[in-house]
Amino acid sequence: MTDRRREEVLIRIEHAGGLATGVSNDVHAETGVPEADVYGVATFYSLLKHPSEIRVCQGLSCHLAGSGEKIDAMSATDTPFLAAACLGRCDEAPASWDPQGENPLPEVHLTAASDELAINLAGVDSLSYEGLAAAQDNGADWVIGELEESGVTGRGGAGFPAHIKWRGVANQPVTERYVVLNADEGEPGTFKDREVILKRPHLVVEGLAIAAQALGANDIYCYVRGEFGAVRDTLEAAMEDATTAGALDTATTWHFVDGHGAYICGEETALLESLEGRRGMPRMKPPFPVEAGFRGAPTLIQNVETIATIPSILTRGGAWFRDLGRTEPGTKLYCVSGHVQRPGVYEAPMGISMAELIDMAGGVVGTLKAFSPGGASSGFLPASMINVALDFGSLQKVGSMLGSAGVVVLNDTVDMAEAALVQAVFFEDESCGQCAPCRIGTQLVRQAIERFRRGDSDALEHIAEIAPGMEQGSICGLGQAASLPLLSAMKYFPNEFESSVHT
Amino acid sequence: MSEQTLTINGVSIDHRPGETILEAARRLDIDIPTLCHDDRIEPVAACRICLVEVEGSRLMQPSCHSKTQPDMVITTESQRVSRNRQFSLSLHMADTVSDRTIAEDANPNRLFELADIHGTAGLWPHVDSPRQGRPMDVNRFIHFREDRCIGCALCTRYCDEIEGVTAITLAHRGALTTISTADELSLTDTTCELCGGCIAVCPTGAMTEKAALAYGKPEKELEKIRTTCNFCGVGCQLDLNVDRDANRIVKVTPPPPGTTVNDGNLCVKGRFANDFIHHKDRLTEPLVRDADGVLRPTSWDEALDRVVEGLQGVVTRHGPHSLGFVSSSRCTGEENYLFQKMSRAAFGTHNVHQCAAT
Ligand SMILES: Cc1cc2nc3c(=O)[nH]c(=O)nc-3n(C[C@H](O)[C@H](O)[C@H](O)COP(=O)(O)O)c2cc1C
Ligand code: SF4
Ligand code: SF4
Ligand code: SF4
Repeated sequence: MTDRRREEVLIRIEHAGGLATGVSNDVHAETGVPEADVYGVATFYSLLKHPSEIRVCQGLSCHLAGSGEKIDAMSATDTPFLAAACLGRCDEAPASWDPQGENPLPEVHLTAASDELAINLAGVDSLSYEGLAAAQDNGADWVIGELEESGVTGRGGAGFPAHIKWRGVANQPVTERYVVLNADEGEPGTFKDREVILKRPHLVVEGLAIAAQALGANDIYCYVRGEFGAVRDTLEAAMEDATTAGALDTATTWHFVDGHGAYICGEETALLESLEGRRGMPRMKPPFPVEAGFRGAPTLIQNVETIATIPSILTRGGAWFRDLGRTEPGTKLYCVSGHVQRPGVYEAPMGISMAELIDMAGGVVGTLKAFSPGGASSGFLPASMINVALDFGSLQKVGSMLGSAGVVVLNDTVDMAEAALVQAVFFEDESCGQCAPCRIGTQLVRQAIERFRRGDSDALEHIAEIAPGMEQGSICGLGQAASLPLLSAMKYFPNEFESSVHT
Repeated sequence: MSEQTLTINGVSIDHRPGETILEAARRLDIDIPTLCHDDRIEPVAACRICLVEVEGSRLMQPSCHSKTQPDMVITTESQRVSRNRQFSLSLHMADTVSDRTIAEDANPNRLFELADIHGTAGLWPHVDSPRQGRPMDVNRFIHFREDRCIGCALCTRYCDEIEGVTAITLAHRGALTTISTADELSLTDTTCELCGGCIAVCPTGAMTEKAALAYGKPEKELEKIRTTCNFCGVGCQLDLNVDRDANRIVKVTPPPPGTTVNDGNLCVKGRFANDFIHHKDRLTEPLVRDADGVLRPTSWDEALDRVVEGLQGVVTRHGPHSLGFVSSSRCTGEENYLFQKMSRAAFGTHNVHQCAAT
C-alpha cells in the first residue's frame, strides 16, 4: 500500500504548512516514503517550497504592462515576495497573487453569447446534462464515433485528435481505467481553462462524466492549477450540484487535486507523476497514458477546453461542431493579452486570422510589431504575418504553433531581444531539470541574450548550435520549444540582433 | 515461424523482446556512449548522449531506454548522431569544471574520456549554475561537489534502487536541481550506510571520498591492486588504490560492475574501514609480556611458543574442552578451515566458532 500512501505526500506537505525542517521526516513517518524522497518532492514545487510569499508575475504580458517596475517597487519594501514565471492572470497584467489572500479575478472580456459556439462562455450553464444522457443511451461506440466525426483535437497544446485517445483507452484489455482533467493551465498568455471552469463548470463536469461513462472509468481526477483556488472550488461545487440533482452516476468517484506551483505539471506525464506524489518530471513515452497512465492503468488525460466541447458535440452532433470551424474543426478559445485594447477570452471559428482576432480584442494599443500566437512555446511572428490562420496546421507550417492559443500582442515599443529574454527566463525557471539539453540549454540561452544585451555582439553565436540540439534532444515539449522565442525573434527581426548595446 | 529481426547499422540481428537498443547494439559490439546509464539501474535517458536514429521516428531515440521492435532500422553512426553526441558533451562541459586537471583532481571523469573519443561541438560559456552544495554536511567520508555535478541522478538512483537506502535525492528543479539529503542533513544523520556506491557511479567525481581528496593525488596516478575484502566471508573484490611513492593505500574502490562477484558494490567496511592500515597504533610485529608484565617486541617463533605453552597448560590442567576457539570473520575460508583443524586435531576440542556465524 505504500504506493497509494505516496499519493498523499504533496497534500501532507501542504497541510504541514509547506517545507520546513522536520516536515519531511513527519511525512515520512505518516506515509512510509523515505525522508529524502519527501524532501526531493517538496523542493520541486514552488508552493510547497515557498508557501506564503506574494508572487509578482514576470510573464511576457505582465512584463509588457510594467511588471519590471512593480518588482523594483516591491524590492524597495519589506514585504517578502517572489517574481513568478506566470500566474495565469495575463488579462489583469501586471498581475500579482497572494497564496494567503482571496485574489479575486476581474471580469474578463468574452465573446457575446451565441448558439453557434461550442463552449459559449457568456451562455447560461445548465444542469440538463443531455449530452450525458445521450451517451448513456447510445453507448461508447456512438460517443467515440461522434468525436471522430466532430474532428475535435486536444486544446491543451498538442492538437491531438480526441477520438484516438478515447478509442485507445476503450480498447485496453484492462478494466481499471482513469479519466484525468488537465486544469493546470500554466502556459504564459493562457487563461481560458480558468474562464471555462468559472463560467461553464457544468460543461466540464458533464464532459468528464461522459468520458468516465464511455470509457468505464470509476475515478475522475481533476488536477487544478494551485494558484486557481476559486476555480477549483467552482468545479467541485458544480459536481456537487450535479450529484444533488441526480445527474451523475454515483458509482463514479471524483477527486479534486491542487497543483503546487510547477508549470511542467501541465505536461500530461509530469501531471501523472505529480498525482502519484512524485517530483513532476515528465515520463518517457512510450508508453503513452492511454496504455499506462495513472497508477500504470489506461488513462484519458484531456484539457479543460477539450472536455467542455464534448456535451455540445453529443447534443448537436459531430458534424455541427466540425462545421463551426473555418480551416479546422470547431470553435476555439483564444486568449488575447499584451498590447490590445480589450484583453480577454474570445471564442471564434478555428482558423480565424490574427487580424480578425485583434479586431475582436478592440485593436492594438499602438502599432503592431509582432505577436506570439500560442504561448511562450510558440515563439514570435512578425506583424506582416497578421493574416495567418490561427489553427494547428497553418501555424506549424510557419514554424510556430497554436499551442494553447495564448495570443500575446506586441507593439512597436517592444525590444525583441528583451521579449525573447522574458520567455527564456520563464523556461529556465520552469524546466523540471531532468534532462541536460533543457536544464543546461535554457541557462545558456538566457545568459546569451543577457550578454548580448550588455553589448557582447558575439554572444549569440553558439545559439545556432545549441537550439537545434535542445529541440532534438529534450525529453519533453518544454525543452524542445524553449529556444524558439529567441530563434524566431532573430529570424524575423534580424536587425535587432546585430551588434547593439542595450541597458 | 521465422525469426524476427531488426537492423543496426545495416547488420541484421535477431529481435529479443524487452531488449533496449543499447543492449542489442552491444551484441554486435557496437559502442554507444552513455553518461547517465548503469546496467544495474533503471534507465532515465537524461543525459541524451546515447540518442540514435530510428527509421520512421522524427526525433532520435535514447538507446538506453528505447526497446527494440521487430524490423526496426537503427543507425548509431551518422552525422546527425555524432553531432548530438558532441552537442551533449559541450553542453555538460558548460555545466561542470571545464579545466581538465581540476576536473580529474580526484576521481576519473567520464565526460572528458568521452570527449577524447567523440569530440565536442566547441567550448561554450560556463553556465555557473545556481546548484547548491551541502556546506553543513560534516560527515567524514563523502563529499558532494556541486560545481561538477551534471545532474545525471546516478547517485540517487543507485542509493534508491541498488542500496535500497534513499538517503539522497534530486532536490529543487531546473537549473537549481541538486543532490541533497532530507533537510540538507549530514549523511551520517540520515539512513546513509556509507556504502560509497554514489561515488562509484558518479561520472564526474562530484561525489568523492573526503580523505582521498585531502590526500591530494588523483585516482589516475594511483596503482590499483585487486584483492579480496577480508571483513566478511562474501568475498567481495576490491581495488586498493595505492600511492607507490609513499607506499600508502589512499582509498578503496570497487572493480567495475559485471566483473566480480560484488558487481561493483561494496559495503562501508570494504569501502571506508581502512584507516587502521596506516594507523600509528597498529601492531606490526609480535609482542610478548616480560616478567614484569611489559610488552616487548619479539620473534614469531618465541611468540608462537608462548601461545602453545599457554594453551597446552590449560589442556593439561583442565582438559581439552576447557578451550574454545573463535575465529574472526576477517579470516578467509581457507584460514577458517585450518583454524577448526587446529582446534579439533591439535587440541582435541570441537569448541570452535566463527564470529560471523551468529
Ligand atoms: C511543457 C508542457 C506544458 C503543458 N501544459 C499544459 C497545460 O497547462 N494544460 C494542458 O491542458 N495541457 C498542457 N500540455 C499538454 C499536455 O501534455 C497534454 O497534451 C494535454 O493535456 C492533453 O489534453 P488535450 O488533448 O485535451 O489537449 C503541456 C505540454 C507540455 C509539453
Ligand atoms: S525538456 Fe525540460 S521540462 Fe521536459 S523533461 Fe527535459 S528538463 Fe524536464
Ligand atoms: S554512501 Fe551509499 S547509502 Fe550513503 S548516500 Fe551514498 S549510495 Fe546512499
Ligand atoms: S553527484 Fe555525480 S552521480 Fe550524482 S547527479 Fe551529480 S554527477 Fe550524477
